[in-house]
Amino acid sequence: MSLLRYSGRRVVQAIPVLLGVVAITFTLINAAPGNPVEIMLGPSPNQAAVETLKAKYGLDQPLHVRFWKYLVNLVQLDMGRSIYYDAPVTTKIAQRLPQTILLMVSSFAFAIATAVPLGVISAKRRNKPTDHVTRIVSLVGVSTPSFWIGLVLILLFSYNLGVLPATNLVMPWAHPSNVTGASTRLGVLYVAGAHLLLPMLSLGTLQMAAITRIERSSMLEVLSDDYVRLARAYGVTERTILRKHAFRNAQLPVITIIGLQLTTAIGGAVLTETVFEINGMGRLIVSSISRQDFPVVMGTTFVFALVFVVGVILTDISYAYIDPRVSYGDQE
Amino acid sequence: MSAPLLRVDDLQVQFFTEDGVVRAVDGISFDVREGELVGLVGESGAGKSVAVSAIMRLVESPGRIVGGHIEFKGETLIEVERGDDGESYRTDATIPDGELRERIRGREIAIIFQDPMESLNPVFTVGGQLREFIELNRDLSEEDAREEAVRMLREVGIPEAAARYDDYPHQFSGGMRQRVLIAMALACEPALIIADEPTTALDVTVEAQILDLVDELQERYDTSFVWVTHDMGVVAEICDRVNVMYLGEIVEQAPVDDLFYDTQHPYTEALLDSVPRPDETVEELNPIKGVMPEAINPPAGCRFHTRCPDAREACKTTNPDCRDVTDGVTEHRAACIKHDAFETTYEGSPPLETGSGGGFDVSLSGGETDD
Repeated sequence: MSLLRYSGRRVVQAIPVLLGVVAITFTLINAAPGNPVEIMLGPSPNQAAVETLKAKYGLDQPLHVRFWKYLVNLVQLDMGRSIYYDAPVTTKIAQRLPQTILLMVSSFAFAIATAVPLGVISAKRRNKPTDHVTRIVSLVGVSTPSFWIGLVLILLFSYNLGVLPATNLVMPWAHPSNVTGASTRLGVLYVAGAHLLLPMLSLGTLQMAAITRIERSSMLEVLSDDYVRLARAYGVTERTILRKHAFRNAQLPVITIIGLQLTTAIGGAVLTETVFEINGMGRLIVSSISRQDFPVVMGTTFVFALVFVVGVILTDISYAYIDPRVSYGDQE
Repeated sequence: MSAPLLRVDDLQVQFFTEDGVVRAVDGISFDVREGELVGLVGESGAGKSVAVSAIMRLVESPGRIVGGHIEFKGETLIEVERGDDGESYRTDATIPDGELRERIRGREIAIIFQDPMESLNPVFTVGGQLREFIELNRDLSEEDAREEAVRMLREVGIPEAAARYDDYPHQFSGGMRQRVLIAMALACEPALIIADEPTTALDVTVEAQILDLVDELQERYDTSFVWVTHDMGVVAEICDRVNVMYLGEIVEQAPVDDLFYDTQHPYTEALLDSVPRPDETVEELNPIKGVMPEAINPPAGCRFHTRCPDAREACKTTNPDCRDVTDGVTEHRAACIKHDAFETTYEGSPPLETGSGGGFDVSLSGGETDD
C-alpha cells in the first residue's frame, strides 16, 4: 500500500517538472535569433509575405499568449503543425518515436542483461583474472564514445564482413509485406534483429560498462557488510548469500545509475541514429533545430523529457520496492 | 572435571597487509566448559574479535589463521601446522568447509555481532531473517520455523511479536534489534554462543536489560557463551571465568572473583584501576598510561612493559607465557614474570622508567627502527 502511495506521489511530482521543461524550451527557442519564416522565405523577403506566414503560424502574437495556447493544446495532445513538414507534430513523432524507443529499450536490455552478471562475477572473483578482464573491458567501455563504436562496428560487420546491415531499423511488429527479405512473421523478426544488433551494441556498450562498474563495487561493499557476515556465520551457503542476502541490497546504487544513464542514452541515441541513418527522434530533433521548426523542436523535447521523467519515476519506484526504508519513510 | 566444550590452543591469526604482517592474535589458549560464560576482555585492538571469529573460521582476507588448534565437542574446527617450508597449512584433522558450514555454523555455534544496526539485512523483514536461519539450522518446515521465530521473539521480550514479525529492521530500535539477534542465536539451539561486544553499541539502560535477559536465558537454555567485551562492569556482572587480552596475547585468566579480588597481572590491575567505582570518590580517573602499541610492531619482551608500572629491565627481554601463579589453589594463570612461578631475574633487575606517554615513545621509535 505504501508503495502505491509513494508511486502516486512521484507521478504527481513529475507534473511541475514537465511544465518547467516546456517553459524553458519555449523561452529558449524564442530567444534564439531568427525564426522559421525567415528561413522559409530566404534572404530579403517580401514584408507582406512575412506577415501572412507569421499570422498563419501564430507567430505574430505576444509570447505569453502563445505559451498559454501551447499549454492548452498540449494538454489535449495537440503539439501544433510542423512548419517544415506541414503536418501535425504528433503524427511526425508517432512515426519516429518507435524507432528510438526500440533502440533505447534494446540497448538498455542488452546493457543490464550483460552488466549485472558480469559485475557480480567480477566482485565474487575479486582480483582474479575474470575480474581483471571485466574491469579493463568496462573501463574501455566507459571511455569510448558511442558513435566511434558504431563506426567501427559498421566497418567491421557491414563493410568488411558484409554480414549485418549498416543502416535503418526494421520494426519487429511490421507486416511481412512491408519488409524486404522477409515473407513470414519470423522472417521479420530475423531481419529486425539483424538491423538492430549494431545500433544496440553501439549505444548499449557505454551503459553496460557503467553499470558493470557500479554493480561490481556495490556488490563488493555489500559482501563485507555485517549482515552478510552474519548469514555466513549461520551456515548460509555462499551461493545463497550472493543471490539472496547480498544481491538485492547491491542493486540500489545500480538502479540509481541506470536512471542517470537514461540522459546519456538520449544523447547517445541522437548520435547513434545519425551514424546508422535511423529515422528516429534524435535525428528529427537535430534537423528541426537547424530548420528552426519551432513546433517540432518543442514537441520532440517534450517527448524526450517525458521519457526521462517516466524513467526516473520507474527508478524511484524500483528503489522503493527494493528498499523498504524509502517507501515507509514516505508515510511520515 | 568434564572435557571442555571448546578448547582453543595456541591460536595465531595474522593479517598480511601492505605495511607488513599484523600479528593480531599471537598464540592464545583458553577453553569454555558446558554452561559456562567465559569473558574475553581487553582494550580495542587487542585482538578479541579476531580471536572469536577464528573459532568458526570467519576471519576475512587479508587475515589468516596461521597456527593453532581449535577443538569443539571433540571435533577439530581447525588445526594449522607449519610445514618444513615455513608455510602454514591445515591438517587433515580439520573438518572441511562444507561440513563446518552445515554442521557447526549456526547449528552448534552461533554468533552475535557488536552492531545491531548493521547486523540485520535492511531489505528483508525481521521475522523472515529469523525464520530463514531457524529453518536452515533446525530442519524445520517453513510454517514451524515461522512459529518458532515468533515464539523466540516473544521470549526475548519483543512486544506483540506476531505483529512485529513482518516489520523491517529500520522499524526496530537498537535494543530491539539486539534482542532479535539474541533470539536468532538462541533459536538455532547452539551449544555455544559467541557474543562479540553485543552491548557496546547500546546505551546503558538497554545494556542492563540485555544483560539481564542473557543471564535469564542462559540459565534456561544452559548455553555456553564466549563474551567479548572491553567493559569490566559487564565482566563482573555475567562472566564465570575471564581471559584478559593485551596485544594479541592472553595475560591473565581466572575465575571472575579471583580476577577482581586477587588480581595477578599489572595490566588487569591497571584496567580495574581505570574503571570508576561508586564506593570511591576520586579527583580524576586513573587511566593506563600511553596507548597500546600497534600489533604490527609489538614491543620486544613482555608486550605490556612499555606501559607497566611494575616493569623492570628483565621485562624487556622475556615474553612470559600464561602460568599458574597461585600454586594450583584455583585456576589462576598470569603472564607476568614478577611471580615466583617464573624463574627469572625479575627480583634483581632494576625498575624501568615508564613516565607518562612511555607507550607512545616506544611504539613510535619501534616503528622507525624496524623498517
